[in-house]
Amino acid sequence: MPEGRTTPLTRLQRAVTDLVLEADASAFRQHPAAFALDRSLGPDDQLALAARRDRWLVYRDLVRTALAEPLSDTFPITQTLLEEAGTWTEAVDAFLASRTVSSPYYRDVAPAFVGWLADSRWGQERWPFLLQLAHYEALELDVLRHPDDPLPPGLLREPAADRVAVLDPAARNLAYSFAVQTATVEAPEPPPVCSWLLCHRDPEGTFRVLELTPHVSALLARSQEGQALGPTLSELGVAPEEAFTLLRDFRDRGAVIGFRPA
Amino acid sequence: MAFSGVGLGLRRPHIEQVAASDATPVPFWEIAPENVVGQGGARHRMILDILERDDVITHGLSMSMGGFDAWAPEVLDRLAAFLKATDTPWHSEHLCWSSFGGAHTHELLPMPFTREAVRHTVARVKALQARLPVPFLLENISYYAELGAPEMSERDFLLEVLEGADCGWLLDINNVYVNSVNHGFDPKAWLAGMPLHRVAQMHIAGHTWFEEEGLVIDTHGAPVLDPVVDLMAWVLPRIGRPVPVLLERDNEIPELEVLLAERQALQAAYDHALAGVTRA
Repeated sequence: MPEGRTTPLTRLQRAVTDLVLEADASAFRQHPAAFALDRSLGPDDQLALAARRDRWLVYRDLVRTALAEPLSDTFPITQTLLEEAGTWTEAVDAFLASRTVSSPYYRDVAPAFVGWLADSRWGQERWPFLLQLAHYEALELDVLRHPDDPLPPGLLREPAADRVAVLDPAARNLAYSFAVQTATVEAPEPPPVCSWLLCHRDPEGTFRVLELTPHVSALLARSQEGQALGPTLSELGVAPEEAFTLLRDFRDRGAVIGFRPA
Repeated sequence: MAFSGVGLGLRRPHIEQVAASDATPVPFWEIAPENVVGQGGARHRMILDILERDDVITHGLSMSMGGFDAWAPEVLDRLAAFLKATDTPWHSEHLCWSSFGGAHTHELLPMPFTREAVRHTVARVKALQARLPVPFLLENISYYAELGAPEMSERDFLLEVLEGADCGWLLDINNVYVNSVNHGFDPKAWLAGMPLHRVAQMHIAGHTWFEEEGLVIDTHGAPVLDPVVDLMAWVLPRIGRPVPVLLERDNEIPELEVLLAERQALQAAYDHALAGVTRA
């Protein structure tokens, strides 16, 4: 928008943005000219908007359907949970009203919903796992579509005490305080059990989830911070050969792309 | 390479089948850069392989040409790099706005038909064109309501933007038809005075009649109807060149074979319409 300046064009676009994204359209539905006046539209534009009220309500439906679709596609378990409680529409309305969809990439709508849950804390007094569940549901597309970065040079095939494990850039080493990976559409509430997950693409490009022990998750996390495997294993009290066997398995699965000197 | 004939939008459900086929089943594919750039993974690599192998035209969805939100430099850089990599002959966007105040609606919202909107859109088109490595086309959209009090007709608005920006025209023939039904005008008369010399490409698609609203909506979710095919056949000889036509299908996407059969029927209508022109 022109810095600090409004024009008939900006006022019209602002009014329509309000109409399509605000949760409650009753003001527009009942008194469209007053809705337009509240947004400083000129008399002719007020009349025009009022004369086409029903058509603009069609646009409101089109926008909301387009923005809700990736949410239904990405968050089937979250949607089921909230629909059973009668609050899914309320959640979508609050999300759209927050105007956090700012990316020109349609694929970013679902991640924006997770970001909104994190910022707003919506529903999390009642469902303390809600953010973690939605985060987990969005993970599959995030991992599957992660850009194919070129491999860093000098990677080694074998683990050793003075090396770190290098995760595939698409892989995620995550800790949840709820067992989100066990939630289903039939049983959408995950139990309050800590879970350590390694989510990655396998060599065929399929999304995979490995459940880790807290020690293995910590080993990968320290590696990502640059700490050599040997000292970390000593600290964690894990036998090197046992850990190295596991790391080789992660490498063969595509979660770890290799090893490099610490 | 001169693009002509009837192409198809490359859609996610068909990627694996198209990637695995030996022969390219269409003269060209159309693809939205927004759905490809900045991604990775197995399916993404299949898309890149198809784009490397086959002829491609790009078509944008979300640059909000009539809007005010600034384009992020990385979005422009990615777009320009993609256009170069695909060797597309041009890139197109819709004559609409989609975002305001940083909030993206991902919908093609109509511009007011005003002189201010003409000036603003012309400036945005020129600014984008200056950042792109290929010529730029604007597409006429379906609109269901005028935004504000119009100072001119939709047709004159489109005409003034095309002339002012001096850009090419992606003539969406289904959008002309949908608008003619919803707003009650003769689509042939509408087209007759337009600058057909600017048409570089056409879109054709199916639409849906919503009884309750008394409205035809450009759903891209059904086969193309006969009146739209007839309108394509009517305008092609008047354009006088075998401009490429793209069959769009974005909803209720059927099996690839079904779309290929529809494409083949459209190709026959296209060839028939242009037979006199190419002989002349």
